Amino acid sequence: MLDMKAISKVYQTDMVQTHALRDFNLHVAEGEFVAVTGPSGSGKTTFLNIAGMLEPFSGGQYCLDGVDIGKLNDNARADLRNQKIGFIFQGFNLIPDLNLYENVEVPLRYRGIKSGERKRRVEECLELVGLAGRAKHLPQQLSGGQQQRVAIARALAGRPRFLLADEPTGNLDSLMARQVMELLEQINREGATIVMVTHDPELARRAPRNIQIVDGRVTDFTLYQGRSVDTMMTAGG
Amino acid sequence: MFELKPTINALMRSKLGAVLLILQLAITLAIVSNAVSIIQDRMTYLNKNTGYPEDDIFKFNSLNFDKQSDLLQQVELDEQKLRGITGVIDAVAISSVPLSGSGSSGGMQLKPEPQESKRSNMGYVTGDEHVLSTLGVSVSEGRDFTEADVVVIDDSDARPSVVIVSRALSDALFGAGKGLGETIYWGADPLSIIGIVETMANQWPKSSFGEKMAIIPMLRVGNFQKYLVRTAPGERAQVMRQIEELMLSGHRDRVISDITGLDQKKARYDAKDVLMMRMLITLIVVLVIVTALGIFGLSTFNISKRTKQIGTRRALGARKSAIVRYFVVENALICAMGLMLGTAAAVLLGQQLMQWYSVPALGYSFIAITAGLLLMMSLLSVLMPALRAANISPSIATRSV
Repeated sequence: MLDMKAISKVYQTDMVQTHALRDFNLHVAEGEFVAVTGPSGSGKTTFLNIAGMLEPFSGGQYCLDGVDIGKLNDNARADLRNQKIGFIFQGFNLIPDLNLYENVEVPLRYRGIKSGERKRRVEECLELVGLAGRAKHLPQQLSGGQQQRVAIARALAGRPRFLLADEPTGNLDSLMARQVMELLEQINREGATIVMVTHDPELARRAPRNIQIVDGRVTDFTLYQGRSVDTMMTAGG
Repeated sequence: MFELKPTINALMRSKLGAVLLILQLAITLAIVSNAVSIIQDRMTYLNKNTGYPEDDIFKFNSLNFDKQSDLLQQVELDEQKLRGITGVIDAVAISSVPLSGSGSSGGMQLKPEPQESKRSNMGYVTGDEHVLSTLGVSVSEGRDFTEADVVVIDDSDARPSVVIVSRALSDALFGAGKGLGETIYWGADPLSIIGIVETMANQWPKSSFGEKMAIIPMLRVGNFQKYLVRTAPGERAQVMRQIEELMLSGHRDRVISDITGLDQKKARYDAKDVLMMRMLITLIVVLVIVTALGIFGLSTFNISKRTKQIGTRRALGARKSAIVRYFVVENALICAMGLMLGTAAAVLLGQQLMQWYSVPALGYSFIAITAGLLLMMSLLSVLMPALRAANISPSIATRSV
């Protein structure tokens, strides 16, 4: 599903070159649930941005679902993001002027899906996250947990095969965090590949596969549920 | 494709900035379309043919303070002297100067006063048989005055019996193309129309009766006398320079003043209109710039306020063109509402101006053209901020600020 080979990312300012990622290799197979951890400034967000095609990388090769991202122009990357990736952000990133229905509808509009089909999908996703009755509400009328569930509904509406979650429970209390995590696990069981960036070790332990990034490199693989790191690396390529 | 419904919904939920811009656009449309209409009306007037070769004619005044002199003889001597100057085509002592904004006006009617009859306001000048030639106009029907037509007003009861009128005056009294040979009444005095001049503006060309002019062959001399002189093209300046000395050389007990070209007289008469036009143009320019800056400012503010939202939209799959389109559509919606409101305001303002001041009715084409230009300006104003918005990196969506 996701295949990164020797990826590097260098931020250049007038005086300083900062290597956010260096010789970064990772393979995520279809259907995996991977938690990415690491200290602040380790390169987690940079990895997430590159994985989600939100920013370009400086070197190496990145293939998503067999497509070489390095060869795509801006429009093609936008289209691929829309079709293949669902984003869940730490701050929810709902559009405050749009109600829940319109928020969930946003990626479907960019895909050019007809209004009848959009309606069906939006209602289905809001139903899945338990907020079908609040479609006309504005985001600010909801609690943090509910807003994150709307964000998950929005990420799922386009039926992506790959979900990228950036600290999805970072702004939530423990009860709501558990509910969101359960929802992500359910989505994963239904076949979606999930890569979740978090610095909460509790949460990371719930993911079948963990990777740790330190100083822009994958330094540690931990596999829970009784599988070995070696097996995982083989499975991941 | 255009995200119309969510854009409208979003606008309805965050109204303040949009409402202010709608009002600004509406006010701009109302004021600019009316101002352009007034400017166009004044331009038409300023460019209108008065009938006279204004650049070749000048006037001056002679104020006599020698109580012993024979004024009629002096006028005749002056006219002869003026006509003898090299470069002068003709000259005449005249009661008032066309296009100057001062002189005599009254009414010509079909029956003698006090009988009620059809009447038309007009401006008139009096002078001898050289008036038409000096004014550089000629009759299109009938004949010019002869010396025999001219009446000198003194103690006798002699009154003029003929008149030459402009086409506008004869048409007003008798209908299109008629009037030659007819009799009209100047108070109780009958005047037979012996000639018609096609175009001949009176002393107040911007008045409602500005094209209605009568020339009466009559000489009434006094201590204060106006003269009109027409020169060959290009000769006026040198003739004007020698007038004072020449006039005083024959008769020193007088003051020669106000040696002024007819074009300058008209320019002074039109000065308020020109000033008003300049002020209106300034107002239009300021309003349009302020509105453009308002749109630019609001778009820039909206974009800086929605940076994260734009990044999120890009992350969710919006192409750059979709971001540009979003802001352009949002602006077009605001603009459409402003222009609709502005159209109603323009019509109302036009009606009020017509009622309060003598401005012409506002043509709908002025509103349409102004609205079209404002729409274009509005779209241009939003384009730069929208292009900047499209360049916001989608990675901003994952940043916590």
